[in-house]
Amino acid sequence: MSTAPRSRPSSLAIVGWLVAAAIGIVLAAWVVLHAGTIWNSFFPPEAKSVEGQEIRNLYDIVFIFAVVIFAVVEGLIIWSVIRYHRKPGDDDLPPQTHGNNLAEITWTLIPTVIVLFLFVVSWQTLNSVEAVSPDPGLKVRAVAGQFQWSFDYLPADADGNTKALFTVTAPVGPDGGLVLPAGEVTHLYLKSPDVIHAFYVPQFLFKRDVVPGLINQFDLDIPASDAGQTYRGQCAELCGVGHRIMLFEVHAVSPADFKTWMDKQIAAANATPPPAPSGAAAGPSIPLVAQNVKFDQTTLTAPASGFTIHYDNRDNGTPHDFVVLDNGGAKVYGSPTITGPKVADFPVPPIPAGTYKFECSIHPTLMFGTLTVQ
Amino acid sequence: MAADTRALTSTGHASVDHSPVGGLAHDARGGISNPILGMILFICSEVMFFSGLFAAYFSVRASYSNWPKISADAGLNEHFNLHAEPFYALGLTIILVISSFTCQMGVWAIRRNDRTGLTRAIGVTLVLGIVFLIGQAYDYATLGFGLSDTPFGTTFYTLTGFHGAHVFGGAVMLSVILYRGLAGQFSSRHHDAVEAVSLYWHFVDVVWIALFSTLYIL
Amino acid sequence: MATTTLTPAASAYRTGLYEWLTTTDHKKIGILYIVNSFIFFFIGGLFALGVRTELAQPGLQFVHDELLYNQLFTMHGTVMIFLFIIPMLVGFGNYVAPLQIGAPDMAFPRINALSFWMLPLAGILLLMGFLTGGAAQAGWTSYSPLAQDRPLASTGPGEDLWIMALLLIGTSSILGGINFLVTIFKMRAPGMTMFRMPILVWTVLVTSVLVVMATPVLTSALIMLFIDRNYGGHFFDPGGPNGGGGSAILWQNVFWFYSHPAVYIMVLPAMGMISEILPVFSRKPLFGYKAFVFATAGIGALGFSVWAHHMFTTGQVFLPFFSLMTFLIAVPTGVKMFNWIFTLFRGKLTFSTPLLFALGFLSMFLIGGINGAFSAAVPVDFALQDTYWVVAHLHYVLFGGSVFGVMAGLYYWFPKMTGRMLNETLGKVQFVLMFVGFNLTFFPMHQLGLAGMPRRIADYASDAGWNDLNLAATIGGFTIAASTLPLIWNVFSSLRAGKPAGDDPWEANTLEWATSSPPPPYNFDHLPEIRSERPLFDLRHGRTVVH
Repeated sequence: MSTAPRSRPSSLAIVGWLVAAAIGIVLAAWVVLHAGTIWNSFFPPEAKSVEGQEIRNLYDIVFIFAVVIFAVVEGLIIWSVIRYHRKPGDDDLPPQTHGNNLAEITWTLIPTVIVLFLFVVSWQTLNSVEAVSPDPGLKVRAVAGQFQWSFDYLPADADGNTKALFTVTAPVGPDGGLVLPAGEVTHLYLKSPDVIHAFYVPQFLFKRDVVPGLINQFDLDIPASDAGQTYRGQCAELCGVGHRIMLFEVHAVSPADFKTWMDKQIAAANATPPPAPSGAAAGPSIPLVAQNVKFDQTTLTAPASGFTIHYDNRDNGTPHDFVVLDNGGAKVYGSPTITGPKVADFPVPPIPAGTYKFECSIHPTLMFGTLTVQ
Repeated sequence: MAADTRALTSTGHASVDHSPVGGLAHDARGGISNPILGMILFICSEVMFFSGLFAAYFSVRASYSNWPKISADAGLNEHFNLHAEPFYALGLTIILVISSFTCQMGVWAIRRNDRTGLTRAIGVTLVLGIVFLIGQAYDYATLGFGLSDTPFGTTFYTLTGFHGAHVFGGAVMLSVILYRGLAGQFSSRHHDAVEAVSLYWHFVDVVWIALFSTLYIL
Repeated sequence: MATTTLTPAASAYRTGLYEWLTTTDHKKIGILYIVNSFIFFFIGGLFALGVRTELAQPGLQFVHDELLYNQLFTMHGTVMIFLFIIPMLVGFGNYVAPLQIGAPDMAFPRINALSFWMLPLAGILLLMGFLTGGAAQAGWTSYSPLAQDRPLASTGPGEDLWIMALLLIGTSSILGGINFLVTIFKMRAPGMTMFRMPILVWTVLVTSVLVVMATPVLTSALIMLFIDRNYGGHFFDPGGPNGGGGSAILWQNVFWFYSHPAVYIMVLPAMGMISEILPVFSRKPLFGYKAFVFATAGIGALGFSVWAHHMFTTGQVFLPFFSLMTFLIAVPTGVKMFNWIFTLFRGKLTFSTPLLFALGFLSMFLIGGINGAFSAAVPVDFALQDTYWVVAHLHYVLFGGSVFGVMAGLYYWFPKMTGRMLNETLGKVQFVLMFVGFNLTFFPMHQLGLAGMPRRIADYASDAGWNDLNLAATIGGFTIAASTLPLIWNVFSSLRAGKPAGDDPWEANTLEWATSSPPPPYNFDHLPEIRSERPLFDLRHGRTVVH
């Protein structure tokens, strides 16, 4: 090897370093300007449930350890890289240290102590988060199907399979969603008739899988101060072609408002008569099959004097319905929901002639078509 | 120049050795030969394969308190009750255990250079193996339930079916060493293939004993 | 017993395409593995670009059909894991390990060839799904019942092709693992005791144990799923049209029992490679050789005890045990990290491209290990599981870890394989682009996961606040793609006209550098005496002689 003095860096290297420095300065300025947002991005959103707050506390502890360990270890790497650069022309070997038993013991024992501490702390938090109250204020069953959530509100002495007092079928919106009383413990059951889904609300820092063939359950405790807020939730386990649209909302309301709402829902559920199969069908009967979350026809023709949809829902355990919308999107007719396998007749009253859209309101992105009324 | 001229790869040398693997083919540096080590490792991987199937069986079984009477169809449950008549399967077990003995006798024979003894013993082993397979097929035909009849049917046929496939593979291997033995390719100093196949055959037998105990006794 | 050299002019010597198709020489097979793996790296990378292009902005722009999107990420994961990273590491192991132990070839050369040729066949089978009505689209994890043959689940042959391809690949792996174990146990040169083997050989050994013990469990799972799908079986179907009675959770348990050790299969040989590279470019031995060996064995053993940490949110596993074991596995990993750093410490570092990628490995794997610790804390996992946080974690360890290790190994061993040096400037350009692109793609995914973005969604709400980070990740993804261009150019131009390498261009320590570049078919004319784990170093410094 030569013993020539270190040569001047090439122009390419100089330009390279200048460009890197310029980028570095711009980045640093951007970071400083957005320091608050950047700092917050390293943490989950502010927890809106009691369990979520405990999870956040645990996260903060792990975060501190993570930052310190990263700083120390990465610091050692960077230090070694800077300090122990081989000078050109230096052919001598550095000291050929093979190892050091004391060092090995040290960096085995200390990390063991750290991980055991983290384990104990996380186990304690787990017990707290998983704790189930013997007397929850409300029991709800969240049913995840492909590709929509629905919520069965249960009586106080229910288990996971008890028949619902009433069901909320719209997972989002002011008239739907999972309405819960803030300041009381809700016990949630999770059920799926088809594939695995997951109930996930980022602001609760929590998710739980919905597994067909078994019922998962957990307590959810939204603090009273969060009454009036809405939280977004989403399915978090790949469930097929509609996975991305399986959204839902959680509406936290005050206990008083909740009682009013619940009484109203129970009254509405009891008041609705079951759809009686009409002996004298209004107009011609048009057969329509709902199977594999699809209609068997996407164009229908019907007379303006009224007609009957002979609805054959062949999807096991899956609710469907028949809704007619005008060109402005307003609902002109809506059938009751039927859960397959089931056949029912829906008499549709007379509608003015024109072109309409029909759909299943539970699966509107997969089940729709055009209805021409003449 | 004290060159180390020992071969780097194995050659067969019979050596008297009092270790547990004494009698197995040795290479020049001691220890078992490459093909036999390879077969042992392959058997380890097969043990893990069957472990996956057994784990599935026990997991499915544990989720039913009334195993195996888990069908809604009472007639089917009758057929599931293998405990009631394990004798046919016991017969198959005895055949397979005897075949392990005859296989080992073949190994002992060739270790003392008895080629005739080898071919006879392997021949008998092969026949017993084929009898087992025919017996298994007859059992399948008369069981009265199928693979799609509840998880019991699925786990039963999968476990016994894959075991049967392994017996078939073993029978093929036995045929190969029978042919090679008849052709005079084995001697007391060179019979790795016989050792390897016999290890595999014993493995197949042990798996059957586990299967039989699990499905018919426990 | 004199050794004779086969001259290339010997009439029995085969050349050209026929030689490559029929070779049983571990060096050629190793190169075949490496080339095949790179081809699948690009295919898997294209799928990823498809995913990233769609996610750059909210709204479905390019992938109008969510079914196609689900195929893209499923095949990305499957191809990258089973057809790129695992075979790539097998390829390097195949080439280097026999040389490093002074053996003339692997124990079973023909099985070695069989193991390789199963891979392109499996790849074709897997990709055929796209032509037969849809490739597998239930994720590389293929959870049941989404993987069952039911409406809205996995109808069509794509999933069956996926199963068959993985069965082939698994068989190839197991045969390869047996081959490596017999070679390493039985064919070391005289003087090379187990504790004088290079660390790469140790990692290949432990990896092979994992392969032989864990992969068959995947085989059993795949067969059971195939039976469910095609023969009316009831292993994994809890309800559904055919009677049900099986367990969806059972699939997860059997699958992850393999797939967790699989992640160590995917990283241990890469760790072995950088354990060769760091000492050479620091000019001192690996710090704590024995501790390293025990740590590797410890990771291998512990790796079998943590599988259910992928299932914390199912509510069906014994959480404290798996959390504890997951935390504990950080300890041997930390031991290795410190041993690597103290190899550099007080050394004299030469910043060649292999060292740059090795340093990148250290930093990126550190981040990947740390973000994994968050998930080990079970309640935190309730927030982070199935979100982009996990995508960040797995790519930091598999890309920042294994792929950087592969790049380091490529630049380090290319001279030995081809007799030519790769161009250092192009290498450094590739490193900078790849490092920047990688971090730009995957660091924002920590933020996205924390903010609540789930995995495997084709699209997201425009008002969720995820737009900018997704756009940044897509830009990063294309930067990674761009970084492969200098690599390809480098390989082809160096093959043609790269600087001749000679036997030992790096002043290295291990036996593969004690023979020509490339080595002759039977590897060695003479072997140096072996008295330590650095036989060539000893020879160079007059401590041993060649026989």
